[in-house]
Amino acid sequence: MSLHSLLITPFVQHAFYAVTAVALAAGAVGYFVVLRRQAFAAHAIGHVGFAGAAGAVLLGLSPIVGLLVFCLGAGVLIGLGGATLDDRDAVVGVTLTAALGLGVLFISLYSGYANATYSILFGQILGVTWGAVGLVAALSIIVLLVVSLTYRPLLFISVDERSAASRGLSSRGLSLLFMALLATTTVVAIQIVGVLLVFSLLVAPAAAAEAATSRPLAAMFLAMFIALMSAWWGLFLGVWIGGPVSFWITALASLSYLIARVSSMVKARASTRIVA
Amino acid sequence: MSVLTMTNGAAVLGGRKIWSDATFAIEPGTITAVLGPNGAGKSTLLNIILGLVPLAEGTMHVLGEVPHRGNLHVGYMAQTRQADTVSTMTGRDFVGLGFDGPRFGWGHDRTKKEVVRQALALTGTTSFADQPLHSLSGGQRQRIALAHSTVFSPELLLLDEPLAALDLAAQGEIVDLIKRLRDSTGAAILVVAHDLNPLSSIVDQVLWIARHQVRCGTVDEVVNEKVLSDLYGQPIEIIVTPRGRRVIVGLEEELAHPHPHGHDHSHEGEHVHDLGDEHVHDGDAHHDHTHTNHNATHEGVSE
Repeated sequence: MSLHSLLITPFVQHAFYAVTAVALAAGAVGYFVVLRRQAFAAHAIGHVGFAGAAGAVLLGLSPIVGLLVFCLGAGVLIGLGGATLDDRDAVVGVTLTAALGLGVLFISLYSGYANATYSILFGQILGVTWGAVGLVAALSIIVLLVVSLTYRPLLFISVDERSAASRGLSSRGLSLLFMALLATTTVVAIQIVGVLLVFSLLVAPAAAAEAATSRPLAAMFLAMFIALMSAWWGLFLGVWIGGPVSFWITALASLSYLIARVSSMVKARASTRIVA
Repeated sequence: MSVLTMTNGAAVLGGRKIWSDATFAIEPGTITAVLGPNGAGKSTLLNIILGLVPLAEGTMHVLGEVPHRGNLHVGYMAQTRQADTVSTMTGRDFVGLGFDGPRFGWGHDRTKKEVVRQALALTGTTSFADQPLHSLSGGQRQRIALAHSTVFSPELLLLDEPLAALDLAAQGEIVDLIKRLRDSTGAAILVVAHDLNPLSSIVDQVLWIARHQVRCGTVDEVVNEKVLSDLYGQPIEIIVTPRGRRVIVGLEEELAHPHPHGHDHSHEGEHVHDLGDEHVHDGDAHHDHTHTNHNATHEGVSE
């Protein structure tokens, strides 16, 4: 089968639309994850999603139902309980372990074929149906819409919580809203790269963008661009060379982070040399 | 008309009375230093003025109104800001958030650029406004933050520890800038501080908060041996150096807190907690722990 005929098969087309939507949402939300230093929360929500998906499979439901319920629940829990920086890590950690424990229980109770579990953990982008593409696209568009409408207050509360509160913004309300955005994005990203590799779309592109630019809006768009490129090229390489698409996406996103860090280090060294 | 009036005000956090019987007024164009030990309730006073914490007793008027959140005539500069460590935000971006940060939606205000430009010019920060905040010096960040809190030319400006963690040269710069802002805008400025001396040349009045009480007056009226000894219930001596700096003897433990996040200034193993370090969360404060800490501070001093 030629590369061209592979690329126009329906399952690759589905995957293309799905990764496009997911990458854009993950890049935008990822910028705030990195800015708010909530990478641990992003990590935890993914794992909580695993328990939800396993529970849904056990009940004979679609995994995405369990993902949505558990991820949003964990987002609200972390948003409410960990509003202050001090106890945020503890709340996230306890939520994470409790959910993982549940996930282990659900899997042990499930006597069916373990492939469902595998695809939740590592993603199965090439198995996405039209229906799933529609859901993923709809959720991604909602996330992007909400981010664009709340961009300024989210940015303000993230960089100067007290000043923002004095201007009438609710720290708790925005924290909750953000966790809901993060949870929704995690659910859609899990469809592509799986629970264990959710970081590759959510954190790596944003971290790379953060190292490469000094303006907030530029960083957010750059994060979306890097996520999109990682997703597109990852899909292409997966189809062309072979190997799991989620591996390629993760590799490319991590590589972009590495390049951004090294180039910003080189730039910093060059500028100190000029000063000296 | 006074910018701020407080009559028999009392502050309560978590069921614990912080201070009471506070009566004072702040006049336009004046600079007021807010002094006192950690945990005495200086930041609580700012939170009350901002409408983040309700006044438990008495009455307060800010520019003729009951304090409420989001009052554009009141500017506020927090002691610490997450922004200072962010690499994807320039000074100009941060000042811009002072203008439209609270606004939801897609709209863009055309006047923003000009307002931000003026705030940067007024604070002398234009030359480094396009560098990321985390690359700036402490003094430069404070000046950017001052620009952020003055974009709307507030009539009342609240500065929470603007001199903390700055070297002497940077402190001098900020003090000069505060005076310039007052002179050019006519705003009333409240400055929370640990040490009166860096500010003494520009201060018109002092609010001293300690032992659940608030004393207000000129520097000479408040920072003298009789008033402070009476306030603390122990002999306090004040030595005035030839350059006019005041050394307060008897309160070293209470007032010497160079590190706002320090945890080692305690007695009997108890932690002294600075209210200024409390996060503001929609006014629902959980300050049960200040009870013991508050007492610990004072017991430490009376040794």
